[in-house]
Amino acid sequence: MSNSGEGDGRTGGVTDFHPIAKVSVGQILGLVEAIDEVGGVADVATISQEVDMDLDRLGPVLGAAEFLGLMTVEEGDVRITDLSRKLLHANVRERKAIVRDIIDDVPVFRLITDMARKAGRPLSRQEIIEALSARVGSHQAEDLFKALVYWGRYVELVRYDSQSEQLTLRTPSK
Amino acid sequence: MHALLEVKDVTKSYFENGKEFKVLDLVRFDLAERDFVCVVGPSGCGKSTLLRIIVGLDKPTSGAVLFEGEPIRADNPQVAMVFQSFALFPWLTVQQNVEIGLEAKGTPPEERHRIARKFIDAVGLTGFEDAFPRELSGGMKQRVGIARALAIEPLLLCMDEPFSSLDPLTAQNLRDEILQLWANPDLPPKAVLMVTHAIEEAVYLADRVIVLSSRPGRMIAELQIDLPRPRNRKEPEFYGWVDEIYSLIV
Amino acid sequence: MRGLRRWLRYVAGVLILAGLVVAIAFPQAALNAIQLPLFAVFSTTRMVVAYLLSLVFAIAYGHTAATNKRAAVVLLPVLDVLQSIPILGFFPAALVFFVATFHGHPIGIELAVVFLIFTSMSWNMAFGVYESLTTIPQDLEAAAASFGLRGWLRFRHLAFPAAIPKLVYNSILSWTNGWFFLVASEIFTAGGTEFKRPGLGAFIAVAGRNGDAASIAIGIGVLAAVVLTLDIFLWRPLSAYSERFRMETVTGREIPRVPSPYERFRWLPRLPRLRQWTLARLQPVAARSHRMSLQFERAYSGHPKVIKEVRRIDLALFLIVFVLVVSTGLIGLAQMFLRPLPLSAALLPTAAFLSFSRLLLAYGIALAWTIPVAAFIGESERASRYLTPAFELFGSLPATALLPVIVGFALLVTASFGDAAQLAAVLIALFSMQWYLLFNLIAGVRSIPDDLKEAARSFGLRGRAYWRRLLLPAIAPSLLTGSITAWGAGWNALIVSEYTQYANRPFEVPGLGSLLNHAVFDPVPDSEMLLLTILTMIVVVLAMNKLLWRPLFRRASQRFRLEV
Repeated sequence: MSNSGEGDGRTGGVTDFHPIAKVSVGQILGLVEAIDEVGGVADVATISQEVDMDLDRLGPVLGAAEFLGLMTVEEGDVRITDLSRKLLHANVRERKAIVRDIIDDVPVFRLITDMARKAGRPLSRQEIIEALSARVGSHQAEDLFKALVYWGRYVELVRYDSQSEQLTLRTPSK
Repeated sequence: MHALLEVKDVTKSYFENGKEFKVLDLVRFDLAERDFVCVVGPSGCGKSTLLRIIVGLDKPTSGAVLFEGEPIRADNPQVAMVFQSFALFPWLTVQQNVEIGLEAKGTPPEERHRIARKFIDAVGLTGFEDAFPRELSGGMKQRVGIARALAIEPLLLCMDEPFSSLDPLTAQNLRDEILQLWANPDLPPKAVLMVTHAIEEAVYLADRVIVLSSRPGRMIAELQIDLPRPRNRKEPEFYGWVDEIYSLIV
Repeated sequence: MRGLRRWLRYVAGVLILAGLVVAIAFPQAALNAIQLPLFAVFSTTRMVVAYLLSLVFAIAYGHTAATNKRAAVVLLPVLDVLQSIPILGFFPAALVFFVATFHGHPIGIELAVVFLIFTSMSWNMAFGVYESLTTIPQDLEAAAASFGLRGWLRFRHLAFPAAIPKLVYNSILSWTNGWFFLVASEIFTAGGTEFKRPGLGAFIAVAGRNGDAASIAIGIGVLAAVVLTLDIFLWRPLSAYSERFRMETVTGREIPRVPSPYERFRWLPRLPRLRQWTLARLQPVAARSHRMSLQFERAYSGHPKVIKEVRRIDLALFLIVFVLVVSTGLIGLAQMFLRPLPLSAALLPTAAFLSFSRLLLAYGIALAWTIPVAAFIGESERASRYLTPAFELFGSLPATALLPVIVGFALLVTASFGDAAQLAAVLIALFSMQWYLLFNLIAGVRSIPDDLKEAARSFGLRGRAYWRRLLLPAIAPSLLTGSITAWGAGWNALIVSEYTQYANRPFEVPGLGSLLNHAVFDPVPDSEMLLLTILTMIVVVLAMNKLLWRPLFRRASQRFRLEV
């Protein structure tokens, strides 16, 4: 949320992964469920009360859900989208596939997967951090890397071994 | 024909300096197949002690716990446990954590690999097989806990406050996924017994709620929650149940 | 940071140059020094052998104490006593025993040396294992039980990994202890005979006896190099590896651990490639041990009863040996007290008092400088950056190795011979005690939350009030921890500090240490006095632990604990 002020992130900057960097899949899905339960639309204050989380903690989740196209925020009203409804009725496997389609289009994720594809070998953590640092500065690169690994693992496009610190691509299971 | 689980007049006391401190007093109930039962009660009512006794980790002072008509044993592979603090082995990967019960059972490596994959996939953790617990979010950790419990294909799944270390959103999401798993009759277990202090959670999940009083824990009520699923916490009937339990406890 | 590393490389360069200059200026010393690498290998080998023994012992002992309640009743108090008595006091007895058993063959001396190092290494490691096993989170324990982990599987998946962090941490401490005793034990004179095994410790001691300053310097330099090398190549990679075995709390934050005063030499180049290399080498070893454990497991699952029996017999054997040792000891004691005490026993109270005063003086001096310095280092990044390297380098050297330097220094500053001996005795005690205090105190100052410091400042706490209200209470627990370790080290130092030889002259001051030395070294050894002196020392140490440190520690950890 905090970086929405730095111009529209959607134009393809690398920082655009930021909204989902510190949020887990479970939180986003929980939020979608909670809003669905109160009728699919609610103002932020109601949601905050409903799910018993203050804005400090809820804000990033809202930002992430909006970034993934799962809800729209207009004048303080949060509304879930059709994509959300699809997600709600999907099972665990299908949910992954839906999120995968979104994540796969995110430029910074693309950057890393393309890098790995071109290299044709496992990428080391160090290489990736360097590539990211060149774009977002070394301070954010660590966080971004963690997020990439987390989401990449979830959508089954990335395999990461934290012992050898090597990242490889994988094909999702059916 | 036995019930799956019979809790028979379980009483538990601790003795300190010759004085008796009663934690549980004559708790008695049965669990049949396809039962999803929640035990609720205020903190300190001995719910967790009860669960530990039921899975055989602790012995009752008097009374007995029978599983399929036999006294319960701690390492009974028909009963699996999910913990509030996840209780994952920090030095084992997700895959190894899920395999642990199978390894103890002596399942051959390829077989336990296959079974573990199946349950890792069922809880949505495919992709995280090689991750260590410290790399996972709280919700993911508890999914590992659940997959590990399911992997030994137990008849009875026991859960000790499984959602109370999670943030509210993650907890809500995981509750729904538990219900999804439960709705699939091809997957174990045959029955679920869960301990919680959150009354709403109990009404949301359970077919039957057992209400305990505060120390010593006595059974106040055993309620059949006949709401259809999926349940909506905003409906008045739902709230009726929650209110009733609250008034029983206070 | 990078600037500092470059600076350190310059220092290393200068040291090498200085070494070359010394070698040219003192050819005799340089000639001696040629054997040093070999000596270093000998000394290190003794350490490694003793360490491996300690490791096996520690795991077996700690595991049994943690899992067998009945055995723990005996094992824990025994460990407690063994941990707090000055081990060096037993060395002469052990030496005599081993040498006699092997009819004076050098192997006897080697075994005595290894045995001494073993006794200095194993207790705290065993205690570490015990502590880790008893602090495994209850839920994890329950999970292991309910998923059917028993016997070997439980050990492999739960107990052993859980013990790794403390085991590594305590191993580093044990090695520091070990060096102290290695240096003290490689050369010994008992009953008029000199026992000597080639090694760094013997080299330094001989150089000291001859008053050969250049050789002393070179010997200490090589010892420092060995300690440093081991830290970089062994302990640091191992510490990094052991991080993986730490427990986490539910919230994902790691359980706050005691900041280690011995994470030494963080200022040296980190050598990431080297770490990778070491880890890559470790991988096949780990894989092989994994395969072996699988085989063992298969064998085990076939014969659980056999293993159970073996364990029971094991325990029974230990108990039998224990009872035998204790009862012979008690019978011996009883016999001794039944006979009239030797005349020299009257010296014991005075000697104990003198030794105690000497340690108290050293402790006072140590406190006087370490508290302000720790406060300074703990609060200033810059001070820490420049001073820590120097202190850590000094602190890593065993006081026994510095002994000749200290005695030489004492001779320089005092006019009379007797005064020099007194000064040297206190200084050696000081050098054994001060580092434990310093490193613990620095950790204590660092552990004060920034918020608390800022709150104190914003309420205008300054100067004396700041010290009295915040700093001193906050460091009280670490002060106590440091003090307990420091006194333990001090009692051991006593034995080497009250009677030494330098430039072919004996330096001696009255005290328990010198009584002990006389009982052993005099041409007619006096085993009765030896026993009585050790006994006195044990009584004093245990009394201090039980009556002073324990209660203080309990109070401090309740009142002054900082909740992080």
